[in-house]
Amino acid sequence: MSTAMNFGSKTFTPRPPEKGAFPLDHFGECKAFKEKFMKCLRDNSFDNSMCRLQSKDYLECRMDHQLMTKEPLAKLGFRDLMDPPPNQSDRDSKP
Amino acid sequence: MLLPLLLRQAAACRAAPMRLLHRQAEHDLLRRRLPPRLHAQSRNRKSKSEQQQDEWSTRNKTVLTYIAAAGVGMIGLSYAAVPLYRLYCQASGLGGTAVAGHDVDQVETMTPVKERIIKITFNADRHASMQWNFKPQQTEIFVVPGETALAFYRAKNPTDKPIVGISTYNVVPFEAGQYFNKIQCFCFEEQRLNPHEEVDMPVFFYIDPEFDEDPRMARVDTITLSYTFFEAKEGQNLPLPGYSYN
Repeated sequence: MSTAMNFGSKTFTPRPPEKGAFPLDHFGECKAFKEKFMKCLRDNSFDNSMCRLQSKDYLECRMDHQLMTKEPLAKLGFRDLMDPPPNQSDRDSKP
Repeated sequence: MLLPLLLRQAAACRAAPMRLLHRQAEHDLLRRRLPPRLHAQSRNRKSKSEQQQDEWSTRNKTVLTYIAAAGVGMIGLSYAAVPLYRLYCQASGLGGTAVAGHDVDQVETMTPVKERIIKITFNADRHASMQWNFKPQQTEIFVVPGETALAFYRAKNPTDKPIVGISTYNVVPFEAGQYFNKIQCFCFEEQRLNPHEEVDMPVFFYIDPEFDEDPRMARVDTITLSYTFFEAKEGQNLPLPGYSYN
């Protein structure tokens, strides 16, 4: 890794993640959402912008199952995907 | 060096008037001349050399004070240098340290730079003695700066006993590493896998929108994220890379 003793050269310093580490999903509770996300990625030639809805769903699943601290989705960068009140939420379950 | 010289001179000065006095007295006795002038002269000479003495001793004291002050100043400076250097590194981003100003609120307000598409490739490594199977679930993903992205790795423990792993990561090219922000991942904390267990490990990250404005990053189209898993002994703590800077 960055074992360089040369002070002038570019070295890499790893930084801890901003919100810490994800707890492991031992029971596969959110596996379905993950599969949806991966399928979306494969269908869209791995373009992340097309699959943001699925990634939002996966993170929501994690939050629901205590695998992630609950946070408003806007703080996770999903401000543009924020759905208005629940009458439109049935649209999100599209793969 | 100068100090002993000065002291010797001062001592010599003190001795000189005594010798002078002796000589004068001899002269007087031998020549039976006791002109008051000579007495006056010798008195003047004595006071002049006394004056010189005083001058020299005050000069000595001043020099000593200055030297002592300089010494204390140097010691203080060496203590102050540590936080000052750290501040300087943060401000100038020298040596690849994280540039100050990465705050969590930025995620909320940043806007994606849709014209700049970057390919992120994933790499998974493990230490030779680590028996997990560890691989990324996608080889690459296309993101734009300012947009949060999710990626998955998969780890499986094929053995019959639980193994605790801990991981660290690396970003290539190095300069892009300061723009690569992870919101949440699975690194730097012990992760325990039971026998024959397989889990998905997500990484939630984004590329700082300022990436697009950095002239050094103008030709960077591919960033590689590489994770390496090591086996952790129970209770061992990997030092968090908080204050490490080189």
